[in-house]
Amino acid sequence: MWSGILLGLAVYALFGLVPAVANTVVSFTDYALYPGAPVNFTGWSNYTSMLTSERPGFMQALVATVVFVTAVTLAQNVIALAVAHRLVGDTRWNGLLRVLVFLPIVLGVTIVGLVWILIFEPGQGPAASLWGLFGAQSSFFGSDTLAMPLVIIVQVWQNIGFSALVFLGGLNAISPEIYQAAEIDGVGRWRRLSQITFPLLAPAVTVNVLLAVVGSFTTYNLIYVLTEGQHGTMTLGMLSFTAAFTDSNLGYGAALGTVLFLMTFIVAIPLMMFLRHREARLLA
Amino acid sequence: MTATSIRPASRPTSTPKRRQTALLRRRRFWARLVTGLLIAVVFLAPVLYVAMIAFEAPAHFLRSPMTPPASADLSNFSQAWTGADLARELVNTVIYSVAASALSTVLALLIAFPLARRLVRGHRQLYTLLVIGLFLPLAYIPLFIEARILDLYNNMPGYIILHVGFGPSLPLGVVLIYAFVLAVPAELDEAAWLDGTGYLTYLLRVVVPLTRPALLITFLYGMLQVWNDIIGPVVLLAGTSANLFPVTRGIYNFYGLNESAYTIFAAAVVIASLPLVILFAGTQRQLIRAAVAGSVKG
Repeated sequence: MWSGILLGLAVYALFGLVPAVANTVVSFTDYALYPGAPVNFTGWSNYTSMLTSERPGFMQALVATVVFVTAVTLAQNVIALAVAHRLVGDTRWNGLLRVLVFLPIVLGVTIVGLVWILIFEPGQGPAASLWGLFGAQSSFFGSDTLAMPLVIIVQVWQNIGFSALVFLGGLNAISPEIYQAAEIDGVGRWRRLSQITFPLLAPAVTVNVLLAVVGSFTTYNLIYVLTEGQHGTMTLGMLSFTAAFTDSNLGYGAALGTVLFLMTFIVAIPLMMFLRHREARLLA
Repeated sequence: MTATSIRPASRPTSTPKRRQTALLRRRRFWARLVTGLLIAVVFLAPVLYVAMIAFEAPAHFLRSPMTPPASADLSNFSQAWTGADLARELVNTVIYSVAASALSTVLALLIAFPLARRLVRGHRQLYTLLVIGLFLPLAYIPLFIEARILDLYNNMPGYIILHVGFGPSLPLGVVLIYAFVLAVPAELDEAAWLDGTGYLTYLLRVVVPLTRPALLITFLYGMLQVWNDIIGPVVLLAGTSANLFPVTRGIYNFYGLNESAYTIFAAAVVIASLPLVILFAGTQRQLIRAAVAGSVKG
């Protein structure tokens, strides 16, 4: 019995906990990818150099991250709520639609990214033909103005199924009797939505908002597939990855990763407290 | 969009009130139809477009990409199959995802059962330690260094082992299985102790069948994580003569090399996603449940 636990915990510690902690350690070194290069502790220099012109790109990445996180969180939750609202009820069509909405999650980031690259292919893609109808032209993921909005759209498209299912769970948990009672009392549709559905959905909102915030802060795999961080889509996560594995500077990449983690933490914890507080207020 | 929502409209309506509700229902029916179609189009159309151009001859694609081909052209598929080394990469992906996820499911069970039964001291602290794992960031940089040190870099067993431990699959599995074990009556344990049944035999014969849904969800979730990983192969595998890449990295590279051969590339995307679509069709109920259970991940 003990051997089973220890084996499991050893794997978990070695490849789960240790790397998470070691990231901070690496961030204080000049660890480089080149074989044989010596590793030195360099103190805070990886952190202080972020703000100087020695390593440009940090401030842009910060702005890009804030834009990405805000837009994804808002769009994902609003649209997912609308979709979930439509999918309440166990009809055959709803079952089919739920599967469709969930499909992008199963297909995964790579397939989804490549599908949208084909859709927004500047020469022959359907988006280009549509654009052409208005006499416009764009290189889409290669455009400085459109790349970011498109990456946001694809990220939302990819993850909406997840949020919608959480909302659906929340909506299903609301007992139909409440609605019936409200209907008998002559409560209108809009007021039913704002005074019954929204308050009772508060726990699902908490889960979904937190998931979207944490998820979009840390994600970069989709950005890697779509743009590799070009054309204004270099978020902090992507910058950390690029610094480490393209520019061979593991120490600086780790420092950026630590900053990202702390930022996520600083945003997520008060947000969680606020949402929990809101739940208590609405459900009281 | 059920049959019941249409029926009142066809029934003879006598009173004005009835007619009004009938009108309301019909409007509701159309609203549901339109929104339902909108959802279907938004989520299906991009995928269908790629499937369609995969069957278009390159010449047809250049002329009118948006019209379906008169006859299906399969040459894209054969060219993608040979050009992208897809057979090899699909086998790699299956090995990685099945092996890593099976191992992590077994380990999750080995941890979750004694913790749920409070058989070990500090079970509460250990459980907390595992829950923390649900929120840990994926630290690829130290993982890469570890892989180099432990000789797990750029080899098959290494890639599997690295995927067992990182990511939220193992802690998520523990949390899920833990909850299921609590529902297994403890009297069964005592009966087995008295019978002298061994620990592992007991786990296999009694606990596994009773926690099967949790085990299945853990396995499917983990498998999907490994299958769809694109950063892992970039960081933990190098392109060498023996092709160790999983299919995600394979088609991504294929795209980079054949940027203008869109129809062949689309065929490669279809081939690479087909196993997932089939698996999904077979297990969508469990997976959708797993998604809700795994909401912690995101």
